[in-house]
Amino acid sequence: MIQGSNRIVSRGFTGTWEELGTYDLPPAAAVFVRDHAEGVRAAWTHATSERETLVASVSRADDDLVTDMVGNGLAIAHTEGSSVQVVPATAARAPHPGRLWLLTSGSTGRPKRVAHTLTSLTTVKGDQPARTWLCPYTPGAYAWWQVVTLALAHPGNDIVFVEPDQLEDWPQLALETGVTAASGTPTFWRQAILRSGDTMAQLPLVQITLGGEPVDQGILDRLHEIYPQARISWIYASSEAGASIAVHDGRAGFPEAWLERQTGDRPRLSVVDDELVIESPYRAEGMDRDLHTGDRIEVRDGRVLIVGRLASDEINVGGSKASASAVRGALLDHPAVAWAAVRGRKAPLVGHMVTAEVVLEPGATATTEELAAWCAERLPEYAVPRRLKILAQIPIKESLKSDV
Amino acid sequence: MSQLSREQIRTMMGEVLANQGKELPADDSASLDAIGFRSLDFSELALSVEDELGTELNFDAPGLRSITTVSDVLDFIEQLQSA
Repeated sequence: MIQGSNRIVSRGFTGTWEELGTYDLPPAAAVFVRDHAEGVRAAWTHATSERETLVASVSRADDDLVTDMVGNGLAIAHTEGSSVQVVPATAARAPHPGRLWLLTSGSTGRPKRVAHTLTSLTTVKGDQPARTWLCPYTPGAYAWWQVVTLALAHPGNDIVFVEPDQLEDWPQLALETGVTAASGTPTFWRQAILRSGDTMAQLPLVQITLGGEPVDQGILDRLHEIYPQARISWIYASSEAGASIAVHDGRAGFPEAWLERQTGDRPRLSVVDDELVIESPYRAEGMDRDLHTGDRIEVRDGRVLIVGRLASDEINVGGSKASASAVRGALLDHPAVAWAAVRGRKAPLVGHMVTAEVVLEPGATATTEELAAWCAERLPEYAVPRRLKILAQIPIKESLKSDV
Repeated sequence: MSQLSREQIRTMMGEVLANQGKELPADDSASLDAIGFRSLDFSELALSVEDELGTELNFDAPGLRSITTVSDVLDFIEQLQSA
């Protein structure tokens, strides 16, 4: 049942779902929105009528994608507040009522459309305590729908949305709007702790959720220090696989015993050649039963750690294989390092070299030479970053990730 | 594109060696084996040059050659900049 009296707080609209109003849309439409207020209005339009919908930020409406959509029977709708401009589909077909399309991030190629429904996106089930959620995700992203469906399905679950230009100040916004639960990437949390530590400490958070990037023990411990009473969860989810892993014990990775376990309607997790493979009931329609995630795993001390993308984690340095995640882990173990990104860079003779960017803890004074020496004590010579740059602040993209 | 002088490249080569706790001798005919300047060091120097120039270099341009002395390294990097 839809909880129309739950509240939405966004820059363009503050009120309940029922007060949002709806858009006049064709029965099958891709809706490109400029902000969260327009995004939730499109979501409400979908939730309260029989239609086929895609919601995405207008920044994603490139020509190729739009041409592909109209040729596949989706009208294109550009929203402007409560009004909407519609370009009809060029191919006529019957709509699929209830279908919700999501766009993949496109980080590994052209964005793909994957098919869900409100039901398949509503993965938080059972009675939920009343909370005010902070949602910093891009409209239409899988993580955005996770928060939106929570507020559609569970009484007393309200949402405060953060626009991209509010990301630097969200702790103050959260304080003013009574946020008690928040979801974000590890980069999002690290950036907030560094930039607004004092305000962060005042937030009465009872639920903290992380996802979208590898979640390391360092950020979990830091959040536990600040919010000792909060439940801290990390979620593994993607538009293709759905929400597949949820861990609430405050530790990085998940228990090894979960591998190959068949329990009711929970996803089955396995490892093939260091790659996480998921058979999930929450996967998008048309996906292979066994989804090869492209994420690299390592098993350490009885925990299965998701350490990074297979395609980018391995850096071939003159025939020796350096692991970007291992280098990043070594840097993050340094007491002065708050954030680190590690990449391979094309180089003569050895093919690629390990390079790193770091952000230091406030007041820390470590030098690149000290950090290189620290790594040299812990890593093989070929894995020690030879080009190391100290940045003034954590770079963050619209996806809230740093592509580490 | 601006270019680094041979002397500037030499200074940067000295810095790469110093980072590894080694020293660049005054004699450019010194053997790389003898001073412990290895593939990783050479690659680091090339990336330092790229960063200094703010542009990507075409490492394949100078073609295959034998690089065995300090002078060979400096020649290679000089040629790389003008490729």
